[in-house]
Amino acid sequence: MRIILLALLTVTALAAQVRDEDILKGAGENWTTYAGNFEGWRYSPLTQINLQNVANMVPKWTYHVPESNGLRTSPIVYNGVLYITNSNSVHAMDARTGRLIWRYDDGLAKRKGVNRGAAIYGDAVYFTTTDNYLVALDRRNGALLFNKKFADAETGTISTSAPLIVKNKVLVGSAGGDTGMRGFIAALDPKTGNEIWRTWTVPGKGEPGSETWSDLHEWGGAATWLSGTYDPASNTLFWTTGNPWPDYAGKPREGIDLYSCSVIALDLETGKLKWYFQFTPHDLHDWDAQSWPVLLEIPWNGAMRKVVAHANRNGFFYILDRETGKFLKATKLIDNITWASGIDDNGKPVIIPGKEPTVEGNWVCPGVKGGTNWMGQSYNPGTGLLYILTQEECGMFTLSTQKPVPMKNFAGGAATEPGGPVLIRAVDPKTGKRVWEYPVGNYSRMWTGTVSTATGVLFSGDDDGHMIALDAKTGRHLWHYNVGDTLTASPIIYSVDGKEYVAIAAGTNVFSFGLFEPAQPMALPAITMEK
Amino acid sequence: MRILAALALPLLLSAQHDVSAGASKNPAIQDPVAIAAGAKLYATSCGGCHGPDGIGGRGPNLVRQLQSHQLKDDELFAAIRYGVPGTDMPPTRLSDAETWQLTAYIRALTGPASDSKVPGDAAAGERLYWSAKAACADCHAILGKGSRMGPDLSNIGGSRPLTYIRQALTPPKNDPSRNFALMGKEGVTVTMKNGVVLTGIARNRSNYSLQLVDKQGDLHLINMADVKALTVKDHSIMPEDYGTRFTAGEMRDLLAYLATQTIRPSETGAK
Ligand code: HEC
Ligand code: HEC
Repeated sequence: MRIILLALLTVTALAAQVRDEDILKGAGENWTTYAGNFEGWRYSPLTQINLQNVANMVPKWTYHVPESNGLRTSPIVYNGVLYITNSNSVHAMDARTGRLIWRYDDGLAKRKGVNRGAAIYGDAVYFTTTDNYLVALDRRNGALLFNKKFADAETGTISTSAPLIVKNKVLVGSAGGDTGMRGFIAALDPKTGNEIWRTWTVPGKGEPGSETWSDLHEWGGAATWLSGTYDPASNTLFWTTGNPWPDYAGKPREGIDLYSCSVIALDLETGKLKWYFQFTPHDLHDWDAQSWPVLLEIPWNGAMRKVVAHANRNGFFYILDRETGKFLKATKLIDNITWASGIDDNGKPVIIPGKEPTVEGNWVCPGVKGGTNWMGQSYNPGTGLLYILTQEECGMFTLSTQKPVPMKNFAGGAATEPGGPVLIRAVDPKTGKRVWEYPVGNYSRMWTGTVSTATGVLFSGDDDGHMIALDAKTGRHLWHYNVGDTLTASPIIYSVDGKEYVAIAAGTNVFSFGLFEPAQPMALPAITMEK
Repeated sequence: MRILAALALPLLLSAQHDVSAGASKNPAIQDPVAIAAGAKLYATSCGGCHGPDGIGGRGPNLVRQLQSHQLKDDELFAAIRYGVPGTDMPPTRLSDAETWQLTAYIRALTGPASDSKVPGDAAAGERLYWSAKAACADCHAILGKGSRMGPDLSNIGGSRPLTYIRQALTPPKNDPSRNFALMGKEGVTVTMKNGVVLTGIARNRSNYSLQLVDKQGDLHLINMADVKALTVKDHSIMPEDYGTRFTAGEMRDLLAYLATQTIRPSETGAK
């Protein structure tokens, strides 16, 4: 009793602003940025739930998101409040009970689409509407502080990713790369939404890199539809870019199509490009380099080295030097790769000829969904392993004979997704080798990444709609729970009143799990209706 | 009524919500001539039950009801033509064209205020809104200005019909849909077992927890096991005397100002 009362008082008293150092600290009681910390680890230092007691985990509450479908949102938690997004809306709920506190809906937005989450800074919660407005809301009560357009949906750009907030800059990405648009990353002012800088991921006419395109250069895509990561020591942002457009037709874009299917390193203050590394030059299979670049420091040739680890949709796992972007190593993330025989010493794929989309159709592995996708990867500093959702799916890639026209929803061809084995794989970044794998289904329907704790518990989901817990060291099964829906987003971890929770948005609901506790019978308080 | 109330509940908890039901194919929709013809038909065939301006009577308050329980244009058309079987809502014998005119009128009556030209001096209304005489900012915020305890009004014109806003300021007496409209907006006083007393708006409450926003905009997440007593106002805490506090001209100006409050000023019909 006394503990609960104290906790109640802290919830109110702690009504302090979210500062840079709070986000920099990484996940803990709160989960204040998309991937948990700036390095992209999706890792929680909380220790209440462990390898032994995770077997007693039960659902604590469920929140149904009205008018939702395949929720892609990764929750943000701060001060006992959990924030999720749906198309053009934010829902704030009591993180202990799942009761709605406030909801913001932009019923005037011109487009509807998936949304991957909110961000938090100062006293505000930020998210973007599908038609590219940055919206700032009072995190306590949902009052609108401003909404400001940062891109025009008429140019093919839409917005789906959670903003990343670093040192007084709200970083927003761009989506729509499958129908023709020009990708960018923009830094916006958290007080006004005004633009501080914008870096295009497809160079303008005459700029360096523009020679790597041909006819449809202005619509080249290279969208930036997932949040990036940040290295405070070098003040550098790392962001991945999507496919070149038209996805399956290479003719209108002869060349390597910079900076599509790449990771780019940008100076936080200016947005200036420090380096880039392109995983799939002149991509023809819609293999966005989407999952966020994970920042690690690992032993390399006898010394510690700062690196970027990235599991790519093209089927390979990469380690790059963080300072220079120099290629260090690539290994096979999945078994079934038929388009390249390997990655050479310069990081370029050794192409197997004849695997491009054709009018008759060409069977290629991995399929269009890729060896992995935006569910991305997580890292546990205790085990030193990365946890990656991988797919052994192949597909038929066909080329259209139609002339590509931007924004007509035309990808230059098509690809089938017949399904295939899905496995969570633990990869050692020091060697690129797989340490264990755990099968999670056969149809590649789900979109769930991983999150892990300091106690060595890994949470994820499977293709059959189960939330699961595994031993992060060995991949041994510990717990599962059927959420009754397809899992379409990644879990996060937080705590309130000293209780640890694991939350996930799945299909049309948000679930929050915790350790079993018997209910405490309570007397209802006296309620008086006042005239 | 009770069933409708349950349906409406999740939507009413929202600060602002979607009023743009799917785009219509019928040319009568948003056509001023058809809307005017529909208004005439409404006065003769419907107003007797649904009240002038849809404020309710023997039939429900259409403006409030259609905010929380949206009908697509063809559903509205069907409700007018066939009535609601098993209730007092009768079928009609109007032609297709007339039925579409009525549909267009109901749509305009229940569509966002910022979509239509609203008479009045919005600048004078703005001064009144922020004045001590109106004191709206004691409870409402617009773009971060004012208390954040009550509903945010930044998008009131973009999300609510003019009739709805007018009714918020001059609430009709005995409106049957008013009680459930208070869900998530109740004025409460909470006495905690440790002696702390909190007042504000219960954004949500149940037997087990209460989420309260106070006048400072601060959020209090309360476990009902820690509560000694709870007092809930059975009416809105918003003053009910604006109809007499303001002149007709002042009210018109205030409405004109509120109608222009939209989060998409450059993209709506607001002038
Ligand atoms: C005799 C009284 C009466 C008249 C006349 C009448 N209504 Fe109704 N109307 C009702 C009642 C009662 C309901 C509530 C029915 C229910 O309980 O669902 C209703 C419901 C409605 C609804 C809501 C239907 C829904 O599915 O939510 C609409 C729209 C409506 N009326 C429009 C009209 C229009 C337009 C006219 C004129 C053509 C009209 N009504 C005439 C009594 C009336
Ligand atoms: C003492 C607090 C208080 C004051 C002062 C006040 N309001 Fe309200 N208002 C509320 C509350 C609480 C609600 C929600 C409950 C309700 O609908 O009555 C509300 C509701 C509204 C709504 C409906 C909002 C919606 O989306 O449903 C409008 C419009 C509105 N107020 C306008 C005003 C204006 C304009 C003024 C000044 C002339 C004003 N209010 C003064 C507390 C207040």
